Amino acid sequence: MNFPLYKQMMKIQMKSILNYAIGSAFYMILMVWIYPSIAVNTKSLNEFVKVMPESLLKAFGFENGFGSFESFISGEYYGVILTIILTIFCVILPTQLVAKLVDQGSMAYLLSTPITRGKVVFTQACVFFTGIFLIMLITTISGFVGYALFLNEEDSFHALKFIQLNIAALLLFFAVGGISFLVSCISNDEKKSLGISGAIAFGFFSLDMIGKISDKVEWLRHFTIYSLFSPSDIVSGDANLVLSFSLLGLIGILTIAIGILFFQKRDLPL
Amino acid sequence: MLEVHDVTKKFKNGKGIFNVSFSVKKGEVFGFLGPNGSGKSTTIRHIMGFMKPDNGYIKVNDLDTWKSQGKVQKYIGYLPGEIAFLEGMTGKGFLDFIARMQGLDDLSKQKQLIERLRLDVNTPIRKMSKGMKQKVGIVAALMHNPEVIILDEPTSGLDPLMQRLFIELMLEEKAKGKTILLSSHSMEEVEKTCDRAAIIKNGKIVTIKDIHELQSMQRKLFEVTFQNSTDADTFTKSKLDIVFHQKNVVRVAIQGNFDEFLAETSKYPVRNIDVFTQNLEEIFINYYEGER
Repeated sequence: MNFPLYKQMMKIQMKSILNYAIGSAFYMILMVWIYPSIAVNTKSLNEFVKVMPESLLKAFGFENGFGSFESFISGEYYGVILTIILTIFCVILPTQLVAKLVDQGSMAYLLSTPITRGKVVFTQACVFFTGIFLIMLITTISGFVGYALFLNEEDSFHALKFIQLNIAALLLFFAVGGISFLVSCISNDEKKSLGISGAIAFGFFSLDMIGKISDKVEWLRHFTIYSLFSPSDIVSGDANLVLSFSLLGLIGILTIAIGILFFQKRDLPL
Repeated sequence: MLEVHDVTKKFKNGKGIFNVSFSVKKGEVFGFLGPNGSGKSTTIRHIMGFMKPDNGYIKVNDLDTWKSQGKVQKYIGYLPGEIAFLEGMTGKGFLDFIARMQGLDDLSKQKQLIERLRLDVNTPIRKMSKGMKQKVGIVAALMHNPEVIILDEPTSGLDPLMQRLFIELMLEEKAKGKTILLSSHSMEEVEKTCDRAAIIKNGKIVTIKDIHELQSMQRKLFEVTFQNSTDADTFTKSKLDIVFHQKNVVRVAIQGNFDEFLAETSKYPVRNIDVFTQNLEEIFINYYEGER
């Protein structure tokens, strides 16, 4: 890794990273804040949940009801909203870190200094990882802060499960971003890179959603990495964490490594 | 110092560069002339190691520029043809960032260059004019005192005063024993600084010649306005190469035969003489035609 480059890139990207992180933290705290009022009505809400079609509940991750804070937050936030927001982030940032610099030509300056291509893109990958790590870290901390501020002892809050949930989300976005990073490394055109990685990421996301809604097409979920991240299963303790964590981590590492390898070997139109 | 050996790169659309070879000695300023789209920038991209040649190699300081990425750049200063900086920085911020990337501690040359180019470095780059950006690029290319300097159309965007200063800077670097490659589509720019020059067209080197030889091959257009149109008529009957004639205005193409031209025109009263700037293909029209 090249430290001056890392510092400079973090400086450029910090604003957008913080925007995502603060947005996520606010939403989290808002959710924690309204949780007690919902928790009082848990019983009736759970009744309501039972009436809803099961497929719809599964799609939005509500099948655990609202019994504990994690099950509430896993359905209310991690199931859909956080996933969509961070998927956008994981498409945009990797594109900006490589394909954009190649497209507009400033990569020429980075490569005219005595730093290898491998080091340059590896540094960019580190910037990406720092970005998602910061967002998830701030999201996690805001969960704990919200708990300390608004929740009472009686409210059930399992810190371990909440942390597992956040690590799982981090690894999912590492994998999604890794794929975008690979696309970014082999693209000459910023818009094309954005389009392709966007199509892949949201394609995977939609496959997972559709697969959840109907049992008939549940097999679709075998073809998407989003099925490796199942907030409700993590909270209920049904998830195979070792398998999904290592698979997601592996996808992220491999795609980034392949991206760097391609970038080292290819012609750059600078 | 810089050796381009039989480099071929064919793109999918059939364009590219073909069997390009030349070498630049230490302390030499080498011009790389060609019309737009002739393969100048492609050749320079290969020299910088941005592209892998299909065939042949390029060596700087005996290091292969494709295989020794990250090492060979230590010896090279580079000014891209189309300058794009990182966003959200001032000129100074960018130059200091590049200096850190180069591992450069001594910023005295950077400071000196900024002063000589009269560059206001605290301006944000996005607010800079093309000429100012070009100056930032020139400072970035020279501040680490590289042994080989590669410049892709360096004076585009600079006003005449700055162009002169740029030529001065190049001659100083040359006096220090630096090796310089300068690409351009203007013969005027090249003849002021270069010792030798190559002409490239459609991806092939047409010729490599001493700059004085090239000057003698150059075709220049003069437009002579005579006092009387009858004089113009008689003038056109001389052996000179008349390109255009209307009333008392005659356009003549001259290639080395300045004496003949002067002798012929001085026979008549002349109202005005103009020199025409032409593009490269027109300047070396005979040469290009000979190659076809």
